[in-house]
Amino acid sequence: MIRISLSRIFEEYPDRRYIMFGGKGGLGKTTFSAATAYYLAKKGKRVLVFSVDPQASLSDIFKQDIFGKGATEIMPNLYAQEIDADHRVKEYQQEIRQKILDMYGMEQIPDEIESYIQAAAAEPAMEESAIFDEVVDIVVTGGFDYYIYDLVPLGHALYYLSMASVYDAWIDKITNLRTQMREYDQVAATIKREKTLDEDAILNELLYIKDRINKSSSILTDKAKTAFFFVLTGEEMVIKDTVKAAELFAKFDVPLSGYIINRVLPKELINQNIPEYLKNRLTMQEHYLKVIDEQFAGQILASVPEMERDVTGMAMIEKMARAMYGDLS
Amino acid sequence: MSKDEKEKKKGGIFQAVKEFVYGVAAHDSARFALKTRASMEHLFILITMGDMLGVPILPPYYSLRLLPYVVPQISTWKRRMLREKDLTDALA
Repeated sequence: MIRISLSRIFEEYPDRRYIMFGGKGGLGKTTFSAATAYYLAKKGKRVLVFSVDPQASLSDIFKQDIFGKGATEIMPNLYAQEIDADHRVKEYQQEIRQKILDMYGMEQIPDEIESYIQAAAAEPAMEESAIFDEVVDIVVTGGFDYYIYDLVPLGHALYYLSMASVYDAWIDKITNLRTQMREYDQVAATIKREKTLDEDAILNELLYIKDRINKSSSILTDKAKTAFFFVLTGEEMVIKDTVKAAELFAKFDVPLSGYIINRVLPKELINQNIPEYLKNRLTMQEHYLKVIDEQFAGQILASVPEMERDVTGMAMIEKMARAMYGDLS
Repeated sequence: MSKDEKEKKKGGIFQAVKEFVYGVAAHDSARFALKTRASMEHLFILITMGDMLGVPILPPYYSLRLLPYVVPQISTWKRRMLREKDLTDALA
């Protein structure tokens, strides 16, 4: 069967600087993110791999605690970052409190307002929104050749993607309302022959939010700059879920670059003296690899073997990078 | 009467006429515009801060950003949104 080489994607499309691996939980998204970061860093590119998952596992794979420490150098050219959403929310709440105190010269936040600030932080969407916002910071700040998003499992990833378009539509609506309000202000001011209006601070704030959301969602759906890879394995449920997810992602205009099969058991095993259990697994795998080939014909970029042990630490990451990209020099 | 004083008096009359005309013709329009504006203000707070009343509308991260600007309006807004229709509505 013909495979387009994974490294060729990077060579042929050097503008695709935002790299994402998506797939069901536990299939190897973080592993592939880390190995790809390793590969690109070895090629001399400055790479940042960061996690948008509140339960991030980059620290585990690099065997180094990077949680909430910003972009941390793992090796030359390779930086990794895990966002501490909780910390960011707390800082943000404090910022809002300070702003209220400063704006109105208050000594203390009114109870009603304080309880709202606290309740807002407890909302389930708060963590995701905070991460979303920090990702915008990371991408806007720049300084790297490649950004690798270690994505959350499928469902959450869809939520993450849809959030961009929902936010976008919502902000459009209220910005319009705000603009209309401003027109009424203008009418009243003109009739009364008052001088120019003060700037509408809220409108400016809304435009700022809109701008940030647009930046993030435009990257996620930019075919020229973004490469989105699906990770799957030779199992029925995984294949079915991936097909469904790919359809949904297509609806959000996510530019799908191809599929990578992970955890492929070596075929040679079948000729060896192996237990029945393993034989069954191999037969099953053979069947589903065929299914995958039919289902995603022409879009399979690589198939990566099951490793003899779990992928953590630099030696295993390097091994994984070789399995995915071949020669690293 | 010096030329300056004359001008001033003329200006005074003009000003008075202007205010009179404004009062007769335009005051209502201005009041209407401001009243509409106030209703919209409340609508705006509702769609941004709705969860204060238990109406979750907006992901909270960005609604917090807007909170500082609407602090003074929060209490009147809550009253307006929560009160039942009564006689005072006719007076409003």
